[in-house]
Amino acid sequence: MLPQRSRLSVVLFLLPALLLFGGGVLLPIIQSLVLSFFSWDGISDMTFVGLQNYQRLLGGDAIFWTAFRNQWGYLVTCILLQMGGGLLLACLLMTITRGREIIKVLYLMPAVISTTAIALLFQRIYSFDPAGLLNSVLKSIGLGGLARPWLSDLHTVLTAVSIPEGWRFLGLYTILLYAALLSVPQELEEAARLDGANAWKVFTTVRFPHIKPVWATTLIMATTYALRGFDVPYLLTNGGPGQASELVTTYMYKTAFTSTDYGYASSIAVFIVLECLVAVGAIIALTRREAD
Amino acid sequence: MKRSEFLGLMAAAALAPSLSACGGKSAEPTAASSAGVAVSGDIKPREISWLLSRPANGAVIQAMTQIAKDYAQQQPGFSLKLITTPDRPSYLQKFQTLAAANQLPELFDTDATPYAQKLAKQGRMVDVKALLDDFGMTDDFRPAALDYQRFDDGSLYMIPLEFGIELFWYNKALLSKAGVEVPETLADFVTASTSLRQAGITPIALDGKDGWTLERYIAYYPFRLSGKEYVTKLKQGQATFAEDTGRAAVQWIKDLADAEAFQDGFSSAGYTDAQNLFTSGKAAMYNMGTWELQSLATEALPASMRDNIGYFTLPTVDGAKTASNEYTAPSGIGAAVNASTFDALVKDFLKYALTVYPKLYAKGGLPGPTTEAPVMPANALPIYKQALADADKVGSTALMPWDTQLDPTSNTLLQQELTLLAQGNLGVDEFIKTMDQAIATNAKKYFN
Repeated sequence: MLPQRSRLSVVLFLLPALLLFGGGVLLPIIQSLVLSFFSWDGISDMTFVGLQNYQRLLGGDAIFWTAFRNQWGYLVTCILLQMGGGLLLACLLMTITRGREIIKVLYLMPAVISTTAIALLFQRIYSFDPAGLLNSVLKSIGLGGLARPWLSDLHTVLTAVSIPEGWRFLGLYTILLYAALLSVPQELEEAARLDGANAWKVFTTVRFPHIKPVWATTLIMATTYALRGFDVPYLLTNGGPGQASELVTTYMYKTAFTSTDYGYASSIAVFIVLECLVAVGAIIALTRREAD
Repeated sequence: MKRSEFLGLMAAAALAPSLSACGGKSAEPTAASSAGVAVSGDIKPREISWLLSRPANGAVIQAMTQIAKDYAQQQPGFSLKLITTPDRPSYLQKFQTLAAANQLPELFDTDATPYAQKLAKQGRMVDVKALLDDFGMTDDFRPAALDYQRFDDGSLYMIPLEFGIELFWYNKALLSKAGVEVPETLADFVTASTSLRQAGITPIALDGKDGWTLERYIAYYPFRLSGKEYVTKLKQGQATFAEDTGRAAVQWIKDLADAEAFQDGFSSAGYTDAQNLFTSGKAAMYNMGTWELQSLATEALPASMRDNIGYFTLPTVDGAKTASNEYTAPSGIGAAVNASTFDALVKDFLKYALTVYPKLYAKGGLPGPTTEAPVMPANALPIYKQALADADKVGSTALMPWDTQLDPTSNTLLQQELTLLAQGNLGVDEFIKTMDQAIATNAKKYFN
């Protein structure tokens, strides 16, 4: 327990950050909430429409639900790449001793490259005519039949726009999980090995339970990032072809800035906020229940 | 766009009601908009801003930078701040956010869209017809250039600064290799595409990523069959895709899809991708405006293409209502004048700018909004001159691009559905049903 004076100084020091957070994050969310009860094009008078925007959102808007499904497809690909791939790489990093630092830096590189550059890079990688990296490699290994315009094919486009986002932050999650793995007590691992546990057994009974809190935090980060994912799909395909790679976020953007339907766009924004909160709540609940 | 930028703008949009409340007074239409273009008071030099959506080193910006510099010599203290966002969706986002916050600068770019018409109706834009009449300049402009900027009721609120015609460029060698004649009717495109594909040639290079390029194709059939009438009715929900004209247009796109007219993966191909596909001799045809004359009709073209390039204008259909010299002739995004900041300085600057602009712009070699003849570049190919001559002969009914006509929500959906239709992922009936439903729902928010 801090003495009274210290508590006051803590509050004072926290206040600027709280004010910034409140003004920059909470206030816009609240304003979006207010705006979501109105019909407004930005230049005419605002009209109060009650829950009409939410009715349209939940009931009648097929594109929104397509976008919602796509967002979850996007989320699954990103999580698989970031959490699955990240954990695998972190474990592999544990097994090597030389060149570890260089590999870590290389993996982290995409996280600091600008999104636009990443989008352009993948545009080239997926290109069909002229053949990009992916299609060229497929042709050179005799799998030319699989070559296709990855960003135009309705069956591949969603995965194709998710991969750059997953790849981009793969290094970040690898480092986080690697740092967690480093903290696993060596003596526990050794004891398990002496008892005859193989690598998989050591991982499932010693390593993973130990890094679980970090795993849960990174999972929350990856999930909320993927649910808010916007830039790579927007730049690569603008949601197309059709609505095959439309995400809730790109749809919200178009509703606000193309259709100038700020009220409806705000209700989508509120939906995204709630969706993120529910997802985070679910992850926390799951990890707590397992811990108990 | 960065996520932070995007979130910032969303925040700005959310804050807009409070901002507009603060700036409420400036939204009042000034005397300028209600009583013509008369201004009172002296010219007081200051910095004025122009929100544009034009290439940063393009002819318009170069000319205007020069003009502003010269004008500042006459009016010390004057400067022109040009804020350009060439990428159109990003531009519209800025433009609409500023409009919502009542913070539009003295000059801003916009097409004659339903959204712009709302702004004009609210008295937020200066009547450009009255302004040009006041300057005595109306007759200097090409009628087609002014018409392109007009709203349906004939009112004019944007100043055209460019002019061009849209042509079908083709590769003579590829057409003759496939034994194909230059299409005379729209139906010929389909048969030509089939023959070209059989000869292993990509028939048409298309920038599918930008949407508007494919949207031109859906406009061609109705334009030939009915002029402007069909789209004017369609956008208001008074005509449908289900009726004959609409169905013919949709069926034509489907036929093109079946003939695999566009390059594989066109939907993710960008502007330069499509142009490169054509100029590198891989695609036989390419629909593009004269604003690309420098790349398509000069020695900038790869040597192997120079003798092979030709163009034709929009083919016709049986029972056409529009003449062969009538097709798309846009005068580019227009410049609007903010009524709430319109004063003696803005007016005087515009008068000066529009007086010297035509000659300066003509140096760039492109047809301008006025009758001033462009200066031919030294490396021009013979078809350059031919294209300029055709630009002068364009007829009185021009094809209005649908992306400036439809309400923005229907327009976005149309571009998406068209891509699916042209890729062969969607049937004619399904397309018609979706689009008619969308227009019926959305049109009333903009047209009533």
